[in-house]
Amino acid sequence: MKKLIALLLAAVMVLSLAACGGSGKTAETQAPAADANAPAAPAASGGPISLTLWGAEEDQALLAELVEKFKAQYPDQTFDIQIGVESESTAKDTVLTDVEAAADVFAFANDQLNDLVAAGALLALDGDIAQVLPAYAGKTIDDVKAANGEGSVAAASKDGKLYAFPMGGGNNYFLYYDSTKITAEQAQSWDGLLAAAEAAGSKVGMTYASGWYNASFFLGAGFITDMNPDGTTVMDWNGTSADGFTGMDVVKGMAAIAAHPGFLAIADGDISNQIASKAVCAVVSGTWDAGAAETAFGEGYAATKLPTFTCADKQVQMSCYSGFKLMGVNAYSKNSGWAVLLAEFLTNEASQTARFASRQLAPTNLKAAADEAVTSNVAIAASAAQDVYGSVQNVGGKFWDPTATFGQMIANGDLKADDDAAIQTALDTLVEGVTAPVE
Amino acid sequence: MEAKTSGLSRLGSAVSGFFAVIARFFSEFGTAMAKGDLFVKLSLLWWGAGYFRRRQYVKAILMTLLEIAVIVFTLNFAMAYVPKFGTLGTVQAEQVFNMQTMQTEWNDYDNSFMILLFSLFSFVIWFAAAVVCMRNVVNVYELQMQAQRGKHINTFVEDLREYLDKKFHITLLSLPVLGIVVFTLIPMLLLILVAFTNYDQQHMPPTNLFGWVGFSNFVTLFGGGITTTFGYAFVRILGWTIIWSFFATLTTYIGGILMSLLLNSKLTRGTKIWRTMLVVTIAVPQFVSLLLMRNFFANSGIVNTICANIGLTGFLRDIGLISTSYIPFMTAPGWVHVMIILINIWIGIPYQMLIATGVLMNLPTDQIESAKIDGANPFQVFKSITMPYMLQVTGPALITDFVKNFNNFNVIYLLTQNVFVTTNQFMANSQAKETDLLVTWLFTLTQDYYNYKMASVIGIMVFIVCAVFTLVGFNFMISGDKEGTYQ
Repeated sequence: MKKLIALLLAAVMVLSLAACGGSGKTAETQAPAADANAPAAPAASGGPISLTLWGAEEDQALLAELVEKFKAQYPDQTFDIQIGVESESTAKDTVLTDVEAAADVFAFANDQLNDLVAAGALLALDGDIAQVLPAYAGKTIDDVKAANGEGSVAAASKDGKLYAFPMGGGNNYFLYYDSTKITAEQAQSWDGLLAAAEAAGSKVGMTYASGWYNASFFLGAGFITDMNPDGTTVMDWNGTSADGFTGMDVVKGMAAIAAHPGFLAIADGDISNQIASKAVCAVVSGTWDAGAAETAFGEGYAATKLPTFTCADKQVQMSCYSGFKLMGVNAYSKNSGWAVLLAEFLTNEASQTARFASRQLAPTNLKAAADEAVTSNVAIAASAAQDVYGSVQNVGGKFWDPTATFGQMIANGDLKADDDAAIQTALDTLVEGVTAPVE
Repeated sequence: MEAKTSGLSRLGSAVSGFFAVIARFFSEFGTAMAKGDLFVKLSLLWWGAGYFRRRQYVKAILMTLLEIAVIVFTLNFAMAYVPKFGTLGTVQAEQVFNMQTMQTEWNDYDNSFMILLFSLFSFVIWFAAAVVCMRNVVNVYELQMQAQRGKHINTFVEDLREYLDKKFHITLLSLPVLGIVVFTLIPMLLLILVAFTNYDQQHMPPTNLFGWVGFSNFVTLFGGGITTTFGYAFVRILGWTIIWSFFATLTTYIGGILMSLLLNSKLTRGTKIWRTMLVVTIAVPQFVSLLLMRNFFANSGIVNTICANIGLTGFLRDIGLISTSYIPFMTAPGWVHVMIILINIWIGIPYQMLIATGVLMNLPTDQIESAKIDGANPFQVFKSITMPYMLQVTGPALITDFVKNFNNFNVIYLLTQNVFVTTNQFMANSQAKETDLLVTWLFTLTQDYYNYKMASVIGIMVFIVCAVFTLVGFNFMISGDKEGTYQ
């Protein structure tokens, strides 16, 4: 029996070798292909330039249309442009799985910029590559920066370098409310909101268990989050802010809101359901819930900037993380020059106007944003009003779980307003977790 | 106790048998090298030499071609990666934009992951080549012996025919074994190697290189060195994983048997309808039924509304079991653990019921009847005949179920993702939550944080735990003498 096993093993080895002989050959044929990537071998001019473009599902029809316009703009050059579907919120995951195989141009949300830059997946646009814009598109990279809102350019930059073209904004959160139950005056502060909601027998909803939402209290009180070059997060929430508030003041303010009978803590991702089920008469959410809110609130549909909250007996305006949709170029793109031109074209004024018309994405281009159709949109106007108080989200991966847990603890009432020591310990643990080294 | 020792001794004999095969392989090779003629010895360098001498020309040519293939593979492919295996690459990627071609030009940079993967691949090939080469010498020596004894030496066609006859098992098994090597063995070895590197978000190929770090990831896991709470989270998650696997396996197993006994009972009416209703839970995809369950038991879900209306919520609050205005089925530790196990019973019982029904149909009725004649009550029959029989037949499946539950990603992930937020800051600081199994934690670490090295370390731990349970369990369950216990 043992001999049989030995024989069997040997036979298998022979077979596997035979199989591997084959793969050795494929590797050989692969080698020159890889070389073509690198030096020498200039593309035969006139040969089609092949590019892959990834965009959101809801952007597909528009992208196809814009790509045709792009081709028409350069009649001397032939293109082979493939358009793929990749959600803007998960682009990073797909791109980083295999950067070299990812699309040349892809759309993504700005919170992924840090990870993409750290992995070297994004082409820095103001390096040598910037020459292609004056040569082919008749504008400079500085023209592009000037044409878009300051916040959006900051969100697309890291360490002073521009890594993507701003495509759309309005990716923040603000207050939707039912104006038949809450007056515009009451919507200015949490105190007013909660009192009105309680009187109306309804609730004011907000997600506490998510760092993206609950940071709005801390940022409003002058605290910051930032990112070190090594990928770790900077956070000062357990200390004293530039505005003179302590983290404890903010926590007590949040706890007071959470303890109010007119407040409803909503689980992350459950906001749309809560709006649709009419459980709330006011809710903190973003432009993506405009449809749901309009349906639920009907006649009373209104939106405004976030309210103020009581922090150490003062009224403090809540801040927010301003989010943007960006269009980036893969650093490993073969035809990087044309990829940059395509990305710029897809985010220029005309394209942003077309994108607003097709999917109500707020333009970052200043001229496109000044358009009457854009400014009259209730949700986008509120988003823009809140953006004044917003700051660019600059955090590492370790930010999310500890902040979600912290928000959940406040929402659950685990942190008692009179137990200063417990609050301070929780804040210290939070900061320790968020700022932990990336192991 | 006796079963344990016999189980362990069987394990021991399996291990020693494995080493005996290796020892025998080397001793045969030694004998062949010592006693073989010049051509046998030459076979070590030129694989076809021995066959050539015995006039097996086709085999000689095939072995020579194989040897050339290995050499070509080594020179053209392996040598591009293996020499860099010690450092996993040193040349950082750099780029220059060429305005003329409108293309980015790259230097000849190293990709640590490719170096790791293809080096490993080369090692496997070389190992196989070494075994083939040594085995070849032994074969050729056997040919020499046959020739000396004046026996008939097979022609190539006769050799081939043997693969359909005496060596048919080789023909049958080679493809599956090749599949295991390529799709299981190589990825597994790769995973083990990654555990000893610093492959994570800060060291992502192709832009950045990663390198060897020795055992430091294991040190991190067990609480040394770094300030995070990895060790704290690991111990708790491992504990819950084991508790979960135990209860998930046991409850569905017992429940399934009881359910099938109930359905098989002569007193039950409408058996088919009941069985169909139970099997429907299998027909509906798990992710649909689990997501529905998750919504039913949400804080503002339908079950909570009902509980509030019938006054259960108020009652629980009065006796101090909850402090919220809802029952935190899926949002408070303890509650969620019990709920997960209960929901798993609901989706797990139908499977076990189907298996148990099949087994119960083959239950030796003569034994049951004679037991009844002897005056045994139904419980005694169940305890002394049905259960031992069931255990003997379904024992191996029980072990597999345990391991499957150990890695039961679906139930845990679908029920708790985005619903359960931990309030334990130490868990949160390690990106873990109380309901995580090792495998879902592994998923979070790799998918959300690109922490491949720590994921590999946990993967190795999961493998070790599962391997131990499986080995010990199988040796307990599948023992020949168990058969006697129910007869």
